[in-house]
Amino acid sequence: MSDVSVSVKNLDLNFGSVEVLKDLNLDIHHGEFLVLLGPSGCGKSTLLNCLAGLLDVSGGQIHISGKNVTWSEPKDRGIGMVFQSYALYPQMTVRGNLEFGLKNQKLPKDEIEKRVARAADILQIQELLNRKPAALSGGQRQRVAIGRALVRDVDVFLFDEPLSNLDAKLRSELRVELKRLHNQLANTMIYVTHDQIEALTLADRIAIMRGGYIQQLADPMTVYNKPSNLFVAGFIGSPAMSMIDGEIQNGGTSFSFKGHSVTLSGYEANGEVHDGKAILGVRPEHVSIESTAQAGKTLEATLDIIEPLGSNTLLWFNVDGVIISALVPSELSYKSGQTYHLGLDISKASLFDAASEQRL
Amino acid sequence: MKKELESLFIYSLVLALVSKIAIGLGLGKWAIKKFDLTPWMIEGLPWLFIALMAVCVYLLSRAGMNSKGTAQKGYSGYIIGWAIAALLCFVLWDFSDAFADLDIEFEFGESSLLLRFANYVGHGLLLLVTGLFAFGNILGLQTAAIFAIFTAAVVVIAQTREEDEPAGKIEKIIAQNIVAKIAAVPMIMTALGVFVGCTIWTIFYSFTKSGLLPKANFVGLDQYERLWDTSRWIISIKNLAIYGVCSMILSLLIGFILAALLDQKIRFENTFRTILLYPFALSFIVTGLVWQWILNPEFGIQKIVRDLGFESFTFDPLYNPDIVIFGILIAGLWQGTGLIMCLMLAGLRGIDEDIWKAARVDGIPMWKTYLKIVIPMMRPVFITTLVLIASGIVRVYDLVVAQTNGGPGISSEVPAKYVYDYMFGAQNLGQGFAASTVMLLAVLVIIIPWAYLEFGGRRQND
Repeated sequence: MSDVSVSVKNLDLNFGSVEVLKDLNLDIHHGEFLVLLGPSGCGKSTLLNCLAGLLDVSGGQIHISGKNVTWSEPKDRGIGMVFQSYALYPQMTVRGNLEFGLKNQKLPKDEIEKRVARAADILQIQELLNRKPAALSGGQRQRVAIGRALVRDVDVFLFDEPLSNLDAKLRSELRVELKRLHNQLANTMIYVTHDQIEALTLADRIAIMRGGYIQQLADPMTVYNKPSNLFVAGFIGSPAMSMIDGEIQNGGTSFSFKGHSVTLSGYEANGEVHDGKAILGVRPEHVSIESTAQAGKTLEATLDIIEPLGSNTLLWFNVDGVIISALVPSELSYKSGQTYHLGLDISKASLFDAASEQRL
Repeated sequence: MKKELESLFIYSLVLALVSKIAIGLGLGKWAIKKFDLTPWMIEGLPWLFIALMAVCVYLLSRAGMNSKGTAQKGYSGYIIGWAIAALLCFVLWDFSDAFADLDIEFEFGESSLLLRFANYVGHGLLLLVTGLFAFGNILGLQTAAIFAIFTAAVVVIAQTREEDEPAGKIEKIIAQNIVAKIAAVPMIMTALGVFVGCTIWTIFYSFTKSGLLPKANFVGLDQYERLWDTSRWIISIKNLAIYGVCSMILSLLIGFILAALLDQKIRFENTFRTILLYPFALSFIVTGLVWQWILNPEFGIQKIVRDLGFESFTFDPLYNPDIVIFGILIAGLWQGTGLIMCLMLAGLRGIDEDIWKAARVDGIPMWKTYLKIVIPMMRPVFITTLVLIASGIVRVYDLVVAQTNGGPGISSEVPAKYVYDYMFGAQNLGQGFAASTVMLLAVLVIIIPWAYLEFGGRRQND
């Protein structure tokens, strides 16, 4: 119990008659980097605002560091927050931005100076301290915004899509810096994003949300390799997973579609697999191109489109109207229009029930 | 050589126009009288410069004679356009000269509806014709000559300019992008004529003894001395100062507080906004009359409170010379704060919501967030509202006329009313002009340092 830093219990939130969050439970450990991931409108930012105390919840409880803070003011919750639009105070210098909250807490002067110096040192913004936000670049501004959370000396950091306003290069740079910062500080960090790369690279655990529910809560590799349902499988991974509608036959030992059939030997099922309609999901890197046809192992496929991605090449195959993509090393050359034998790595594939969309 | 000629052409053009405007302002007649000149020496001045322009064009054609320029296609349009303009000016001038001495009088007797209608139409047509003649006089012979020279200049440019040669100064002025320039002419004329011209004219005649009509009989600073000796003017200035300071502070304060209250995501915001903005839709005259009744002791607030049982209650600002300006201030605020509130509300809506969230997480109390973060961010809105309020203060007139007409006695007079009364009531133009010049000076004293800080300082920073 003492290991839990932030705990959300049966949280409900309604805007008028619209239910945004429904009976949500979530425990976040000390020093954990948790990413809330989901498409826009899934309630991830709303959940973060509830944790910060910027939105009043309709039901349930929020505990931070063992204290019930459900009805506390944001400043009393022991959190620091970083926003997408930076939200720096434009007429104050960087130093002023960092100090303003602390001065308001009536902290002693030397304490304020110590904290500002430490934050500036960690984020390497010492030489920016006397500039105004307007004179900073996007990346520098976001660093200052992180600094403003840092000087509060709190246990929990909340990030609301902090990198979304930056260009791609800066984003990847700051991503690495955030990870380094987390290793250095070992604080609890809760991070909202709609970018799966950020989620996979940064997170200790990812909570994938849709429609106010958490769909899956697991570490990045589990989320990637063993998605708990069809939505998670489709949302995570770029290039996306190929989905094949078909049927499980022969007492759960083979999967068939459009007259083709593959054996399911090697698939680690959650429980017993029964015959019936199902969806087979295969990631492009788990599709290989075989030289010879093997019954039950390979599929005849026509190569449709070739997309070179640099280090790899993405191939789009057509199997009687079903699209399957494959990721192959770019040294190998293929011709569109020709027929190839596709081998599916069933042990790394995912099988979903067609009706419930849950992983089998 | 070519460059010098082009510069000379442009300077001559400017001088021709300046001398023409100066003569139009009456400076010509004054100079004739003062220095004992013969009239043609002054009236010929614009002609002299126009002749200089013509010489420049001729010399330019000589200078470019050797270049193997080919007449470029686009220039024929300019040539035709300027030629038509010159011809039109000449014709208009000719006609208006012929009709200049006509005295047109209107007299409508008792007549049938049809006849009256015909009279109105005739009246309108006559006005139109006389207007045209007046216009023709402005676009006189000199303008026609200038346009004719423009035609010649375009011909010269078209004949002598080589295709890869960059455009010269004259070409830039009279041939390039001419549509945009013509479109800007009415604005330039208005700005120069109405603002600069009339202001100079007013200042000029404020040094004269003009009575019912402007007359150039100078009396030095007499009008100003008399102005500052008049107790009515002193009271007007005092009233304006009190009204101005109070109105400025209270408008901003009340407007901002209302906007901040409306910004709390309340219900029926639109309704409240409409109610608060509604007084702005009323004219000052209506506002003044309404508040004259409300503040009237016989049937306004005082009467109502006395009827409630507070027999000794007294609230009659409009009938007490000491506080009458505050009675006017109440009406002014009631009328004006709605607009200020709307502008402030728009400014508040422009503040990023994340700023509010960040301030809440930082634990900054709401009043401090407004004071230290939001208001500094709303600086542009504040400047706009300040200009609006200030212009409203300087021109306050109709409110006073409707509410008190300057009374009791002269205790609620304001400068604008002083100017109006002297110019059109007391038939003392000189005094009115002097008062309005002082008002102008007062405004400039405030505006120039502000503009310098706002626009001049910015350049050094960037």
